[in-house]
Amino acid sequence: MPDAILEVQEVHTFIGQFHILQGVSVSVPRGGIVVLLGRNGAGKTTTLKTILGLLPPRQGQVIFDGQSVQGRRSFDIAALGIGFVPEHRAIFRSLSVAENLKIAERARGDLDRKADFIFGLFPDLKRLYRLPGNHLSGGQQQMLAVARALVPDNRLLLIDEPSEGLAPIIIEQMMHAIRQLSAESTVLLVEQNFVVASQLAESYVIIEEGRSVQAGLMADLVVDRETIQRYLGAA
Amino acid sequence: METLRRNRTLLITLAILAFLLFTAIQGLSTRDWVITLLRGISVGAITFLVASGLSLIFGLLDVLNLAHGTLFMIGAYVGWTTYLRPDTLVDLLPPVLLLAAGLLLGPFWAALVGRWRTSRTVSRAWPWAALILAVALATLVFAQWPLARWDPAVAAQSPATYSLQLDQAIKAGQARAAPAPAAQGGLLRLAGAFLGSALLALGLAGFSAARYGGAGKVTGAPRRWALGALLLVTGVGIYTGDAALTRFLFGLDTAWLFLIALLVALVTGAALGALMEITLIRPLYARPIYQLMLTLGLGVSGIELVQAIWGRTEFNMPKPALFQGSGAGCPATSIVDWLANGCSTIDMLGGRIRTYNELFVILIGVIVLVAVSVLLQRSRLGMIIRAGVQDSEMVEALGINVRQVFTLVFALGAALATLGGIIAAPSMGLSPLMGESLLLAALIALAIGGLTSFPGAAAGSLLVGLVQQFIIKYGQIGIRLPFLEQPFKPTPPLVPASTVLLMVIILLVLPQGLFGRKE
Repeated sequence: MPDAILEVQEVHTFIGQFHILQGVSVSVPRGGIVVLLGRNGAGKTTTLKTILGLLPPRQGQVIFDGQSVQGRRSFDIAALGIGFVPEHRAIFRSLSVAENLKIAERARGDLDRKADFIFGLFPDLKRLYRLPGNHLSGGQQQMLAVARALVPDNRLLLIDEPSEGLAPIIIEQMMHAIRQLSAESTVLLVEQNFVVASQLAESYVIIEEGRSVQAGLMADLVVDRETIQRYLGAA
Repeated sequence: METLRRNRTLLITLAILAFLLFTAIQGLSTRDWVITLLRGISVGAITFLVASGLSLIFGLLDVLNLAHGTLFMIGAYVGWTTYLRPDTLVDLLPPVLLLAAGLLLGPFWAALVGRWRTSRTVSRAWPWAALILAVALATLVFAQWPLARWDPAVAAQSPATYSLQLDQAIKAGQARAAPAPAAQGGLLRLAGAFLGSALLALGLAGFSAARYGGAGKVTGAPRRWALGALLLVTGVGIYTGDAALTRFLFGLDTAWLFLIALLVALVTGAALGALMEITLIRPLYARPIYQLMLTLGLGVSGIELVQAIWGRTEFNMPKPALFQGSGAGCPATSIVDWLANGCSTIDMLGGRIRTYNELFVILIGVIVLVAVSVLLQRSRLGMIIRAGVQDSEMVEALGINVRQVFTLVFALGAALATLGGIIAAPSMGLSPLMGESLLLAALIALAIGGLTSFPGAAAGSLLVGLVQQFIIKYGQIGIRLPFLEQPFKPTPPLVPASTVLLMVIILLVLPQGLFGRKE
């Protein structure tokens, strides 16, 4: 596919002795939102970490914007323009909100340039700017984690479980933000909550026991009760 | 428990005040009390220099560097050697600078090697050839380098003799005569040092290419060339100006020489730390137990190495003239007075305080505490370190080269330890085992302070120093306890035991240490 910003081709990834990914292929077209679906432990988070080189694949390769990232170290891959929002709201708790954003700068002045956009999406963060990260509520931490990935000019955002453990009203706000930021950069999402996933994403990839088993348009999946039942359990 | 935790800073301060009050009413004169207090802070400052590096390294890298005591000791020996024999420094600098310049070529080699396509066997074999050639060249160069040699067995060349001569020169207020410069080895040998390290860098680039694939482009190439050229020029410059520079250094006031010794110790520590992290620690990040054994082994080998070079005897380090005076105007009555007359003691706060052991050492401790705190709290590097302590993977995912930060922090921690060594040398003296007791004290201080916390390392070190010194003092005068007839006199073996006891008590109340975070 010529217009794919990210091509993951048949990657096999090990964590220690364990063969976690046994052939995952994901193609992410430029623009829009793609979601990785699958049960707990299927290998969705591992796929994101493989893309970023945090868990380098033993086989297969990752091509970002037409360029293979093989052999590159994580910081180098990220600097190509990939933002990562890890699961469990992994912000730096001992740093202030300001520092959490500042640390993500890749060039001096990144934050100043993006401040309006970021505070437009998450007005709360402006109010909390000087507070230490551990004083934030769960929802605020998740917002900060997403905001952090927006500071540099990232062409691709990897967002892991943005709705996990959040109150419905916060989820609503988060979905709104993700929709807005997907206008600026492509989003590859991992989302367990199918309702959220189906409302956000245009296309999906299902991962089952370390393999990508099915991919397609979200519009087709929502009416395909059998697939949902088979790979995602409840619907 | 929660309120206890929240108000811990206040509680710690209160505890320290209560302790001091207790000691104040135990039959010590004000004068003795002030002196013991300052001694405690001074010992705490030196412990802190070791403990702060340990805690930074442990916090970010999860490596408990058991070689830290040895680094402390090496700092003392290297600094002391520079101080006594600046000619050794002058002789050694050119080859070392050229060696560093050669190593800077590494990334350029890596970029070249990356373009070079050969068969698997060849690409595995040639780095070995380069490495062997490099080692052969280095041996050739350094085996015949005209070093100012020590010989502990010959009285006239023993370090102790040099130490004594310097001490006498300081007391007499004269500069020492510079020794005749050793015969130099010719520019060819100097070129050999550069060539050898360039070959070494080539070999290493080859190894890394065989394992990880070659690197593409070199980052910061102009800066690298500039730095390399600077090193080359400085090296050759020092080489040609050897005799003049030696004479200049011998004519310097001892305070300046001491400052140079501090710098040399700092740089040596940073270089050793970086080298250690890159070559030995880095391959073992996944294996903490191996790492622990490695650092322990390195510590022991370092002690053996120092004994091989300088011998097993203990040495004194004469204090700089600024801290030695006893003539007119001494003891000084104020700081200004001291700086003018260079007195060894000063009358302050109701006691007679030694300018070096108490004032200067504490001053250095405070400077380091402030400098590192500012670095941690205000700089981007500090921000990255604080973030990395919590989650270094996420820092890497932000596009930051965490491996480089690890090397920097290891170098910084090692440099703090070597600085501690040279600072402690004039008051503690030098012995190959001087670092071990400090390592133990620093580990206790860390446990008290909460392992990865920088303020914790400071508070822990201070407590350890105070408890040690007050127990020693009471060993002399005895504590009058209400339930005992005779004053209780702690015996010398109780000194190390007292700090361990302090640790046990604190850990029972606060299992994470004073400033530690709940896991």
